[in-house]
Amino acid sequence: MNTYLRLVYRNIRANLDRASLFFELIFPLFFIFVQGFGLNGIVPPFEIGNGRVVSYSLFLAAGAVTLTVINGGTNAGTQLWFDRKNGMFEQLLMGPFTSAQYILSIIFATLIIGVAGSLLVFAFAFPVLGASFAPTWEGGLLIAGALFLGTMFFGAFAIALSVVLKSSETFQIVSTFAFFIFLFTSSVFFPASAAPSPIQVASLANPLTYTTDIFRAGLFNAVTPTVSLELLILAIEAAVMFVIAVVAFRRIRV
Amino acid sequence: MVQQQDSFDQGLNVETSMDLYGLIWNVPKAERRRRIDELIGHFEMQEFRKMPTVDLSAGQRRRLQVAREFIHDMDLLFLDEPTVGLDPIVRRSVLDYLKERVRQGLTIFFTTHILEEAEYLCNRIAVINQGRIVQIDTPENLKRRFGSAKAVEFKLLQGTSSEMASALSSSASVSRFGRDEGSGAYRVTTTRPESVIPEIYRLADRLNLTVSSIYISETTLEDAFINLVTEDGKAVANGGRAS
Repeated sequence: MNTYLRLVYRNIRANLDRASLFFELIFPLFFIFVQGFGLNGIVPPFEIGNGRVVSYSLFLAAGAVTLTVINGGTNAGTQLWFDRKNGMFEQLLMGPFTSAQYILSIIFATLIIGVAGSLLVFAFAFPVLGASFAPTWEGGLLIAGALFLGTMFFGAFAIALSVVLKSSETFQIVSTFAFFIFLFTSSVFFPASAAPSPIQVASLANPLTYTTDIFRAGLFNAVTPTVSLELLILAIEAAVMFVIAVVAFRRIRV
Repeated sequence: MVQQQDSFDQGLNVETSMDLYGLIWNVPKAERRRRIDELIGHFEMQEFRKMPTVDLSAGQRRRLQVAREFIHDMDLLFLDEPTVGLDPIVRRSVLDYLKERVRQGLTIFFTTHILEEAEYLCNRIAVINQGRIVQIDTPENLKRRFGSAKAVEFKLLQGTSSEMASALSSSASVSRFGRDEGSGAYRVTTTRPESVIPEIYRLADRLNLTVSSIYISETTLEDAFINLVTEDGKAVANGGRAS
């Protein structure tokens, strides 16, 4: 079996906490089926671009699917954290693997977890999303690109955090707080363009905004001229964060 | 390599952890199954083969860590203090297993502070002092070359005597003096046992003590190690090196 496949499989088997994964999947479903339908009665349908009008529950359902990319990212940091804490990081590097193979395998495992989690939430949310799902080739590529780049960014972000922070408690607190900020300054719960100006400004730097907007555009065939620019910004942010994660990772002394 | 630090996959049980480790080293599935059963037997891990690794004791985890390494084939293995935390019976069976693997052609670099282990297991021993190899030889040669001092062990009927301890500690013929708390025997390291033994009897007479047993023991690797390291320390202090 290929080296990367073996490492990726190992990362998923050994470090994936099944209990937290369960809650990470349940969490977005609560947003979709409880908050979405709860607010549907008081929030009128609105336009999301390209003339597409959607209900709030549909809007939120798409956002909740992209929420899982953050969860996938947290898993990346947790994987590296546990491997360092439990001595497996050194053990693997003393074995038949290079540090580059190790870090890439974590990124790949994160992508698999993030994208699989998103698809699973999407499948569960299909009764809500299905009727308005407008599949096109262009939309499919946008969805794949959004999930890939979003997971890449948040995976790299969590890896960098787990290298810099010294205790697991600090890592948990800082990552939860950071992801909380990412979540509430993005367009997951509401259109950022309609928010107060400080939130609008914050949302412009927030990769989760672009991940969610691109995903929605692909899902509902609501592609606007700004989507390409958003995709470019997200790609740049993911690449920069990936480089930061690699530099942070190389500072680890074995 | 088995490092001194613990290393384990926390989300798995012992058997799955070994299986996954074998997979990492690209060992075929059937071979992994066979070796896992064999190693679980050799390292006496039957009782906890299904136990999550996070619930293992330090000794059990150590056993898993060493056993796991033998899932894959290798020509050379580094073991850094692999028996720390093991009880004496398991420790002996682990050492026996290592010895058997060496007999089958595996080369092992074994780091330890327990010199009995080194003597039991190793064909050649490198003595490291302050990060520098000061001597490499067979255990027999090290003892012969650096263990010139003999150990005289004796017991008193009365158990202990501080006067006797004080007198022998300050004796010019004695290079080291100590007492084994377990057996209660005094141990005198000397290059002149023929003069130390009469001295012990003279002191016993004077202090109204009775020597219940006395014998000259074989030079141990520990004696040789201490002499070697002491010699090296002096040489370094004088700006030279022990040879």
